[in-house]
Amino acid sequence: MSESILELKNVHKSFGKNKIHRGIDITLKKGESLGLLGGSGTGKSVLLRSIIGLERIDQGEIIFHGERYDHLMEDELTPYRIKISYSFQSGALFDSINVFENIAYPLFEHTNFSYQQIKDKVRDMLKLIDLPGRESVMPSDLSGGMQKRVGMARAMILNPEVLLYDEPTAGLDPANTLNVVALMQKLKDKGLASIFVTHDIPSALSLCDRIVVLHEGKIIFNDTPIKFQTSSDPIVNKFNVHKD
Amino acid sequence: MKAHFQAAIDDRIEKAKDFFIFVGEIFSLLFQTIKCTFSGKFYTARLMEQINLLGFGSTSITVVIGLTMGLVMTLNFGYGLTKFGGTLYVPAVVSLSLAREMAPLFTSLLVAGRVGSGIAAEIGAMNVNQQVDAIRALGTSPIRVLVVPRFWAMIISLPLLTALSFAVGIIGGMIVCKTEFDIIPGFYLFKVFSTVKLHDYVSGIFKSMVFGGIITIFACYKGLNTKDGTKGVGITTTWVVVTASILILVTDFFISKIFLVIWN
Repeated sequence: MSESILELKNVHKSFGKNKIHRGIDITLKKGESLGLLGGSGTGKSVLLRSIIGLERIDQGEIIFHGERYDHLMEDELTPYRIKISYSFQSGALFDSINVFENIAYPLFEHTNFSYQQIKDKVRDMLKLIDLPGRESVMPSDLSGGMQKRVGMARAMILNPEVLLYDEPTAGLDPANTLNVVALMQKLKDKGLASIFVTHDIPSALSLCDRIVVLHEGKIIFNDTPIKFQTSSDPIVNKFNVHKD
Repeated sequence: MKAHFQAAIDDRIEKAKDFFIFVGEIFSLLFQTIKCTFSGKFYTARLMEQINLLGFGSTSITVVIGLTMGLVMTLNFGYGLTKFGGTLYVPAVVSLSLAREMAPLFTSLLVAGRVGSGIAAEIGAMNVNQQVDAIRALGTSPIRVLVVPRFWAMIISLPLLTALSFAVGIIGGMIVCKTEFDIIPGFYLFKVFSTVKLHDYVSGIFKSMVFGGIITIFACYKGLNTKDGTKGVGITTTWVVVTASILILVTDFFISKIFLVIWN
């Protein structure tokens, strides 16, 4: 877990006069899970969107395997978007096509697999997310938790190196939260590096190797979950309600 | 007073700047659509799907509008010209009006309402539900996936719908000519085909292709820039229908003028 695969250096981002990030530095190592915490509106999701190139940063660098890509044109970002995947908070499934077509979408777009190979891969992926045999179901017929898991399946079907989770457990009941966390653990065990934006502290503490806390556009804490739990910083402690 | 005046000027400058940015973005979307068509992956299946949805799906309303135009125009021209002994000119006047103006214009306005609003609402809803972001995050281009198939589907479908509207309008005119003015179908059709020249058909077809492009580009642009949830989708839909309709009417004048200069 020593090789750094993703680096954010001095990242600044503003929306008009509203400064969201004021010099963010993060390094993600191979196979590492990083929990990104912070109050609402501190720019956690914006940071993930900047990493995947959905938002342009104003200043700084985003580097993947030593190659800077934040300044590239939309078309040139494709290789990075295959290796770095993004799991949306809402799932963001395409609602006019079924579960199979949603999960298979990246395979049809970026690989030369035969239809049968794609079918097999989707079937295996549905088994992994505990939704076997749901290929023909439309997204609107799935529960919120199922939609999130299908969204995660679509994000990881191309075997990315980094998976960005945007509040994957938000709005879920305890049973669905456990399902999603179990799935994330399975992916972690496979060696997938991830950045996990969440307000769900217990899940972050159980899954993540490192916790990063964002406050007023800056990182105020970046260390292990144990250090996080024993931190004396008053702002960090606001998130640390499970300390006892 | 001076500060108030300065604020008003700044406001006007800002609005002018926004307008030029908007025009630039529209042309940029058009340019990227054409670029994506001739480079990289082309979604033929999606194009066929859109031709079916946008084109074939509009045939029934096209038949209704075409038939109504033919019936009403013939009736009005017929009674108007009869007063001056010009009944026999009715087929020529009706067919020429239909081929050059009425068929492309009314079909396009109707399609702008039906298809333009549909495209804007669909893409707008996808945008507010982050599906457009998902297309980008999965390493694909929303322009290639969403805009290109719709653009070419309309460029192909609208001229065909216009031709259908013209044909049905001619039939409508023939029915009125026979029942109201005793003009036999053989004479009516002879006058239609001897009056309407190739350039009249070309003018109508070309116009409908341009109108198809206008409807799609504006609908896709606004859909891709929809904000503020479902309220935003409603605003987008209304904006597209109104803007596309006005642009179709204005563009029609200029294309008519160009064709009249060229052919006369």
